[in-house]
Order: sequence, then C-alpha cells, then structure tokens
Amino acid sequence: MSEAALARPLAAAGGRLWILPPLLVLTGLFFYPLSLIATQALTGDGTTVSLDHFAAVFRSGLFLGALWHTAWIAVAASAGCLMLGFAIALVLSFVPFPGAKEIARFIDTFIALPTFLAALAFTFIYGSAGVVNGALVELFGFETPPVDFLYSPWGVILAEITVYTPFVLRPLMAAFSLIEASQIEVASSLGARAPRIVRQIILPAAMPALLAGGSLCLLLTVNEFGIVLFIGAKGVITLPLLVYDKAIQEFDYTAACVIAVINVALSLSLYLVYRAVIARVGGRNAGVV
Amino acid sequence: MLVWSRSGRWLCWSFAAALIAAVYVAPLAIILAASFAGQWNDVLPSMPTGEHYLDAVSGASGEALWTSVVTGVVASALALLLGTWAALALRAHTGLLRRILDLLFFIPSAVPSVSVGLGLLVAFSRPPILLNGTSTIVFIAHMILISAFTYGNVSAGLARMSPDFEQIAESLGARPAYRLRHVTIPLILPHLIAAFSLSFALSMGELGATVMIYPPGWVTLPVGIFSLTDRGDVFEGSALTILLILTTLAVLIGLSRIPTKVAPR
Amino acid sequence: MTGGEGISFEGITVAYRGTVVLSDFSLQIQRGEIMALIGPSGSGKTTALRAVAGFVRPTSGRVRIGETDVTDLPPYARGIGMVVQNYALFPHMKIEDNVAFGLRAQKTETGLIADRVKECLRLVGMAAYVGRFPRELSGGQQQRVAIARALAVQPRVLLLDEPLSALDAQIRRSMVEELAKLHRDLPNLTVLYVTHDQTEALTLADRIAIMKDGRLCSFGPSHGLYSRPPNRFTAEFLGRANLLPVRIEGPAEVGLVRVRFGDVGLTVPAHPTLAAGAECLLCIRPHDLRLAEPHHGNRLGAAVTHVQWQGDHHVLTLDCAGTVLRLVSAPLREPPAQGAPFDLGFAQVDATLIAHE
Repeated sequence: MSEAALARPLAAAGGRLWILPPLLVLTGLFFYPLSLIATQALTGDGTTVSLDHFAAVFRSGLFLGALWHTAWIAVAASAGCLMLGFAIALVLSFVPFPGAKEIARFIDTFIALPTFLAALAFTFIYGSAGVVNGALVELFGFETPPVDFLYSPWGVILAEITVYTPFVLRPLMAAFSLIEASQIEVASSLGARAPRIVRQIILPAAMPALLAGGSLCLLLTVNEFGIVLFIGAKGVITLPLLVYDKAIQEFDYTAACVIAVINVALSLSLYLVYRAVIARVGGRNAGVV
Repeated sequence: MLVWSRSGRWLCWSFAAALIAAVYVAPLAIILAASFAGQWNDVLPSMPTGEHYLDAVSGASGEALWTSVVTGVVASALALLLGTWAALALRAHTGLLRRILDLLFFIPSAVPSVSVGLGLLVAFSRPPILLNGTSTIVFIAHMILISAFTYGNVSAGLARMSPDFEQIAESLGARPAYRLRHVTIPLILPHLIAAFSLSFALSMGELGATVMIYPPGWVTLPVGIFSLTDRGDVFEGSALTILLILTTLAVLIGLSRIPTKVAPR
Repeated sequence: MTGGEGISFEGITVAYRGTVVLSDFSLQIQRGEIMALIGPSGSGKTTALRAVAGFVRPTSGRVRIGETDVTDLPPYARGIGMVVQNYALFPHMKIEDNVAFGLRAQKTETGLIADRVKECLRLVGMAAYVGRFPRELSGGQQQRVAIARALAVQPRVLLLDEPLSALDAQIRRSMVEELAKLHRDLPNLTVLYVTHDQTEALTLADRIAIMKDGRLCSFGPSHGLYSRPPNRFTAEFLGRANLLPVRIEGPAEVGLVRVRFGDVGLTVPAHPTLAAGAECLLCIRPHDLRLAEPHHGNRLGAAVTHVQWQGDHHVLTLDCAGTVLRLVSAPLREPPAQGAPFDLGFAQVDATLIAHE
C-alpha cells in the first residue's frame, strides 16, 4: 500500500527534539569517553598531537602478534560457527525428531549466558588435568597429557565456536522454516538425493542467514574478551586482552588507548559490514544486534 | 523430510546428538559436576559436597551474587528507559538523519567492552566528574553497553506494530501522552519485557568493561568468578557460575511468564 | 444522536518526496451525505481521506470540517471517527474498552461512558460481546466494533477507509446492507467512504467521486454518474461499458443528435459540448443492449462470437463491424449459436456520447 506509507503525522513535527535527552546521555557517557581515548592516544600525557604513540605501538611485536591472533582467531571461529550452525540447523529442521524444537531452544539460551562459561568448562574437559587427558593417560599410559590444544589459539577458537554458534543457528532456523516442505518433496520425487538438495535448494535459501550470522560472529569474536582472559594462555593475546593488560597490569594508559582506538576502528568497520549485509539480505536476522 | 532411509536418519541424529552433547551439554555438565566436587584427582571428580555452594552464598562470593543482581536490575531498567525513549523519539525523524541516529544508538553494541571500560576510566578519573572507584561507574558501563540491545529490541517492536493502532487512537481524540500510555506501550510490552530480559542476562555476564572499572566494594559475579579461578579455587568458581546461570534463567523464565494481553506474533 | 458536518477539500495538493500524490483536489461533501471516493490503487483516494483525518499534511490547500479550517489541527483535535481496512481494534482491550477508548481519551464524564458504549454496540448489533477480546471475534464482528468505536465519540464526520476489503464476499454483501441501515438510523452523519469496489459505492453512496492519478476525474450523484458517465474512465471504471467509435452528423429532434457508426446511422441524446463533425465514443451499458424489437429505432447488425451462462444471467460476446460488444441478459431459453447473426437494438435514452480523451 504505497498510499498508506505516506503516514506523516502532524504531531511528529513538534516531537523532533525528544531525541535529545537519550542522545545527550549517550554522548556524555559513551561518545565523550571514546573521544578521550582517541585524544590520549594522540597526545599521550602531554598536549602535543602526534602519531608517535601509534608508531611505537606498531613497532611492538606484542601488538602485531595480538592483531594477528585477533584476526585469525575471529576468522577461524566464525567459519567454525557457520559450519557447526549449518550442520545442527540442517538436522533439526530437515531430519526432525520429537524434541528438536526444545533442543534448538536449549542451544538458543547460550546467547543469554556469559561467554567465559565455555572457557571455564573447557579447562575442566581439555585442560592438562582435565577429563579427556585424565582418561587418555589412564587408558594408554601416556607420559604427558596428549591433548594439548587448550592453551593455543585453538582452545580459544573452539570455545568461541561453542558460544557464538547460536547466533548463526537462530537466523538459519528462521530461514529454514520458510523453505516449504513441498519443495524438498518435489525435488526428492524428481530423483534428487540429500546432498544435491542441500546444495541446490537449502544452501541458496540459507545464504542470507549465513552471511548475516557470519558477519555478526566476526564482529563478536573480534570483541571477545572473557574467553581469552579465562583460558589465560601466555601465547594467546588478542587486542581486547592487550588493552586490559596495558591499562590494568602495566598502567600504560597511552598504549592502552592507542590499541583501543585500533580495536574500536576494526570493530566499527566490521559492524558497518554487518549492517550493509543485513540491509542487503533483509531483516535484522540475528534478532539481537 | 530430507533423508528417507531409516539408517540414514539415525546416522544424522547420532551425528547431531554427538555434536550437541560435546559442544553444549558437556560444558554445562562438567561445571555442574565441578561445583559439587570434593576432590578431583581421577578422571572424574569424587566425594560430592555442597560446601562450594555454602561458600558461594556467603562472604565475598555471596556479595558478588547480590552485586550482580542489583547491577543487572538497575542497569537494565536504565537501559530500557534510554533505549525505549530513543526508539520512540527516533520515529519523528526521517531520511538520512534517522539512519545516522539509528546507527549511533547501535554502536555501543559494536565496540569491544574493554574499550568502553577504558573510556569511562579515562573520562571519569579526572574533573569535572570523578566517578572512578564508585559503583556508579559500573552501572553506567553496563547501561551503555546494553542500551543498544534494548534500543534494537524496542525499535523492532515498533516497526512491527501497524501504524493503524496509533492513528486510530489519535483520530479518536487521544493526545500523544495518552496514546503512548494506553496504546503504544501496551502494544510493545512484549518487546519491552524481552529487551529487559536480554539486558539483564547480558549485564549478569558482563566482564570486559567491569574488570576495567570495578571498585573494591562492588565486585560482580563474573569478576568474582575470574578471581576465584585465577587463584585456583575452581570448584567454588564453578558453584558461583552455576548460581549465575540459575539466577539468569530464573529471571528470564519469570519475565517470560508475565501476561501481556497482546497475543504473541 | 450524531450531529454531522460537511467536509470541503479546497485545492488540496499533497506531494511526497517530489511525487505529487494528490493534485489540486477540490470537493464538497454535504452534511448527512455518503460520499464514495473511488479509483484504482495509487489514485490518491486514501491520501484524500488521510488529509481529512490529519495523517497527511497537504503541501497546499485547505481542509474544512463544517466551518472549521482543520488543516493545521492535529488528528486528535479534529472530531472525526475513522475505520480502516484491518479494523485495528486494540488487541489488549476488551470490546467495551475499545469502544470507550475515545470517550476516555477525551475525558468524557465517567457516568456517561457506559451508556454511550452500550448504545453504540447495540447500533451495530454487538451488544452481547462487551466482555470479549478482539481476537475472539470474526472479521465481520471486529469491523462492526470498529464502527461502534468510531461512532462513540460522536464524530462530526465518519471516515471509512476500505472498511470491507478484508472481509470475504458474502459477509461484505451483508455488511454493505448494514452500513446502509446504519445511515438510515443516523441520517445526519456525514460519511466519506473510500473504496475500490464500485458495487459498494453504487449501493451506499449518495454521490460518488472518481479519482485517477491524483486528480478528481468526475463526480456526481451515483445514479447520474452511472447512467451518464462524463468521460471514458468513468464509464469503464463504474460498471462495464460498450464503447462504439462514432461521428456526429448533426442535430435530430430536440435534445438528440444523429451519429454514424460505420455505415449505420443512430439517434442518441446530444452532448453538451460536442458538435457536428466530432469523432467521439458512444457508451451503452451491457444490460441496455438487447435483441432488436420493432420499436427500436437504433439497430446494429452483429455476430455472436461467444455465449456464456452465469446462472442468473447470460453474457453474449458479439462482433459488430469489428468492435467487440458485450450484452448481458436474463437467462435465455434458447441461447444463440456461436457465429449466428444477431440484430441488436437499444433505447435512445440508454446511450451516452463521450468525448475522446
């Protein structure tokens, strides 16, 4: 109804200023502090503006390592979320069984739970004194714990996959519920087997949800802090953790601010990508951000 | 039905069951087991005990639970007010300005929480406003971080509501305030409740910003759990984690039971 | 119980992002009349109604309700009642609270509200449903409640925006009758009725305004507009029309002209502006064409191309010197065969000359 879309309430004309109070709160408590971070990153503790602090940070191996870890952990974890999410959604939606809905809801509640939960659990399961290693040592008599990935980037990646897969699963289940069962029945009746149906019917329909969920995962994994902190591996430092270390452990606020500025810039670019993706494929698919 | 053969279906189900069990059930189960563990020298913990829960509800840990609940309720209420107000007020704007404002209100959800904490630390450790070392700064951090989620949730609710309801109300003589109170708010009530639930859950689990700014007297659950596990008290940390999960779920379930009269969509 | 007022549109133009959706629209609606505003979608009819309600701000022009210029008044101060296609009953309120909504919003004395609600629900036959919630009612029942809700505030004008479009055909027919009865009960109520359904308009409206591309295309008393359409769009939008290309030859008796269609001469009512020599169209409604009888002065030779039986009537498609004609008649005992010759006749008064556009 194009005519109905022309709703232009007269009353709204006088209501434009109502946006100011929340905008002021947001500015004072969020944008102003962010701007101070940028200022401190540029001036340090003095008053002259220079890029020296940035240059110093970029020369440090610690920072470059953190940047590298952040990027590849995020990419690998997001890819893992997409694969795990797609596999689970496929079974729950298209090979249904009684209780499939409840399982989907159970996984969905992980969205509401703190992320460090996965890291904590993983130390019990895969840690050097954890269940898996304990069992293997007992069974096969290894000298040292054989499963040793937890304190490498893989530990972080696996924990992030656990925590962020629900963000892919939610839009995927919604997208799958829109595929008519008759489409798949017709394809089956024409002789298509499961792999072909997945490739030619389900995957194209899932593409928007995969794109939206994947870009959201990328953003969330770049920003992830709790998992990295809880696993606490010496060699696995990401940008958020480095900001924390610099500010809280070393009291080097200027370096912390420089790294925070770079981290925020990275996150905002990813967020803009995410917005562009959902604007393109339609809807706020994850229903969260 | 994608897989027609009986054996194929069972294969799919076992595969999915194994995945879900390994990725989702095992972590919760192991934390639960650890929270009751008297000792853990073999493969599995032994000598079950409720001691860790006693420790968790008393002393510093007990305070952390209380601190988190208070922080969650206050910050979520403030964020709900901020986000709802913004979502409602934004409707008076159109075009590019509206898109920019919309983006601004979403941005707190996009930046790393540690940076938000750092920003507050830098901004409020100096005049004119000194908040460093107070619990207020924790409320502020949580409110700002979750306000984007309440804003998003309420905006989605408003966008889904047919404009006819408000227009009919207005045509019948309802002034803006009356219309807001009797039509708009009741109609988006399910979204307000959902927004509050999500906010509370996020606040309960917030770590990145809190760990940057928390004052000695205002230790939230995640920070408390971290310091426990960091110094090796993993069993008490697990008990506290279970309490965090239970509190969050209890509030989520409780809120989802509130009758709203508006049929769910 | 409801005191009505007229509505005037005075040169209303509405533009939205550079697109003109309503262009210099002027129309007077009398107190107590039902004016139907009809046209295809995108013709601006809904925009015109929303300009009265106050949800659309005209770029130029004034809207008056009675003597009051309401152009700059917010919707809540205009004293209107409005009913929309999807009912828009407040889902969180019982039926009685829905109907009472406007009264409470306008701070009517509490003691008066209950009686007024009861009265309005009785008027639409929904008095037994006060305690229900909207989702417990059928579409037709919900729309009746929506009408009661609009009437409860004693509106100066009632705006109906496609009120029956969401209902299925059978309920729609009975609702049209109920609306007609409602207006007999409330003869002072001024109603602006927007619809794309010409049957609803012809059944209900005292006068009809037809819109096209944001402009008023024609308006007048319903019967006159149907039997003497002023232009081709009106002829084809309001009912079905056979249009024969003709040329005016010259005057016949008083008020009549002779026209030529191919090599046939016909005598039809004169057109106020078209003179001898003009090429124009002759409009004859399908039900005004019939098998020629001796008294018919106007006759056309045609051939049957198709016969269709639709239960209570027959539709014949005919070819008349290359022009396709449609004839509707009561069921024929012996319908003509396809290809059979068919002599057509029609009465002089049933034909209307229309200028080419």
